[in-house]
Amino acid sequence: MTTPARTICLGINYRTTPVELREKLAFREGAVPEAVQEIRALPGFDEAVVLSTCNRVELYAAHSHDDHAAAHDALRDYLAQRFTLDAGQAASLDLYRHSVEDAARHLFRVVSGLDSMVLGETEIFGQVKAAYQAALGAGTTSRELNKLFQRSFTVGKLIREKTAIQRGSTSIGSVAVDLAEKIFGGLKSCRVMLIGAGEMSRVCAQSLLSRGAQSVIVSNRSHEKAVELAAEMKGTALRFDEWENALHEVDIIISSTSAPHYVVKPEMIEKVMRQRRGHPLFLIDIAVPRDIDPAVNDIDEAILYDIDALQDIADEGRRERQRQLVICEQMIEEQLVKFGLKNLPP
Amino acid sequence: MVGVISFHMPLDRFYLWLATLAFLGGLAHAVLVLRRGTLHESRWHWLPMLLGFAAQTAFLSLRGQQHGRCPLTNLFEVLIFIGWSTVLLYFLVGATYRLSLLGVFTAPLVALLQALALASPLDHLPAAAILPRVPNPWLEIHAAVSLIAYAAFALACITGVMFLVQERLLKQHRIHALFYQLPPIHDLAIAIRRLALAGFLLLSIGLAAAIPLKLPVSDPKLAAALFVWVMYAAINFIMWRRILTARQIAWLAAAGFFVPFVSLWIVTKA
Repeated sequence: MTTPARTICLGINYRTTPVELREKLAFREGAVPEAVQEIRALPGFDEAVVLSTCNRVELYAAHSHDDHAAAHDALRDYLAQRFTLDAGQAASLDLYRHSVEDAARHLFRVVSGLDSMVLGETEIFGQVKAAYQAALGAGTTSRELNKLFQRSFTVGKLIREKTAIQRGSTSIGSVAVDLAEKIFGGLKSCRVMLIGAGEMSRVCAQSLLSRGAQSVIVSNRSHEKAVELAAEMKGTALRFDEWENALHEVDIIISSTSAPHYVVKPEMIEKVMRQRRGHPLFLIDIAVPRDIDPAVNDIDEAILYDIDALQDIADEGRRERQRQLVICEQMIEEQLVKFGLKNLPP
Repeated sequence: MVGVISFHMPLDRFYLWLATLAFLGGLAHAVLVLRRGTLHESRWHWLPMLLGFAAQTAFLSLRGQQHGRCPLTNLFEVLIFIGWSTVLLYFLVGATYRLSLLGVFTAPLVALLQALALASPLDHLPAAAILPRVPNPWLEIHAAVSLIAYAAFALACITGVMFLVQERLLKQHRIHALFYQLPPIHDLAIAIRRLALAGFLLLSIGLAAAIPLKLPVSDPKLAAALFVWVMYAAINFIMWRRILTARQIAWLAAAGFFVPFVSLWIVTKA
């Protein structure tokens, strides 16, 4: 197997560059085909792929320069020119530069979600695929980059199938969604009620809505705030003295009031469960001190999680992904050897 | 001089051992990947079940040819037939409800049924005089459909166990590998209801097929089957009217299978 000896990668990401500069250097979706053609038209460049997401801008290219440094400099100058950076801005760019084996390793890590802000996330796989398809459509890939990107997709799939890097949730919002899905299956018919309009409740509700939850009811001591939040989430607002009567209409309750005592009590939920006739109820208590009496969890079909329980799951999810990271890195090294991109250690 | 070990095993028994080993192998593989947290839909997951099913089918086919009738002539064959029906229903239900993990729970039950059958002296062929020379088609339909109904109850039992495990993990906040692989409790509750209903309908057909046989109600076989039918009629009524919670229904489905399981002894001993 031949080595793509002239492949390089130059880029910035969320670790090296603040969002203010990243957004300045981002390629619009429709501008990518034009950009890859511009790069290929540069002297000494044969192939190009541009990966531009909210967290990274990376240029992959195959070149015929005498050395990789000259090719990297040419790409940096292209970026500076394209985004009209002055000499000082261009010089201050904290760009990473990878060549050959390192470029392949970097791409494999990116595709597998190992270089992502949320370790193991899968969206990047589709983004890299779209970037490659755009370059393929523009006719700016050939032997070197075709092989490299196709291998990277193989590695990405392998890591997804053979490791648990994507398993578990790493944020409170995604933990809430995961749990809701394990209770109700899909969330399409799920109605959510927010008791209290705190920031964390809003985050959880938004996560549930983004995964298809049907509707949101917001109830808050300040009715104006409830109306405002309900409007933001295209839901309905309910006066604070009315939420108890609407409990039986919802599947998920997120409570985050500032009350010094329990707001949701077992007798309320027992009554609601009789009306629900076997349908489960998911309760999320974000408040400190807690809003929902822990005895609610003893009621059949009522499943209660408080903020500590959600945080523990998110923490364990992050720890598990860190443990899996070691296995993933090892697999990438094996794949580099397999694809002839790295020599076997002596 | 090298000694030669002569190893002889009838072909039907060989198929049965093969099926049992396939189910145990499938279980071992599933447990391994489950522990690693990397259980995915793949042919490797289905393959042992498919291999085991093929071997079971070969066994039943051979026995059918030997007897010239449906191979349900003793408890040994009845256990294997129930195992075969359970795997058949697993393929139908597992695919329909995306309950791939059902295989992990089905494999040990079927392997246990077969190991029990293989290890015990249950496989005594009936004396020719006991069985009528020409098989009665109503009797064959009655026996075969009733046993497929029992397999549906077995699968409802397994699904009930899965529900109880997942619900316990959710309630106790034990979110680990098994939690992520088990289906949502909502889907499991639906699967339990449908399996119990399917079993009940099949058993009704099986009992209806016994009418032309004109068996007295006092016949122990018929009485046992009727008792199971009444019990599952009650369970289905409770499910339909939603009298109990999903958790209580899962317990009923799981524990309820004890009755048809015990009734098998009555049916085959009588």
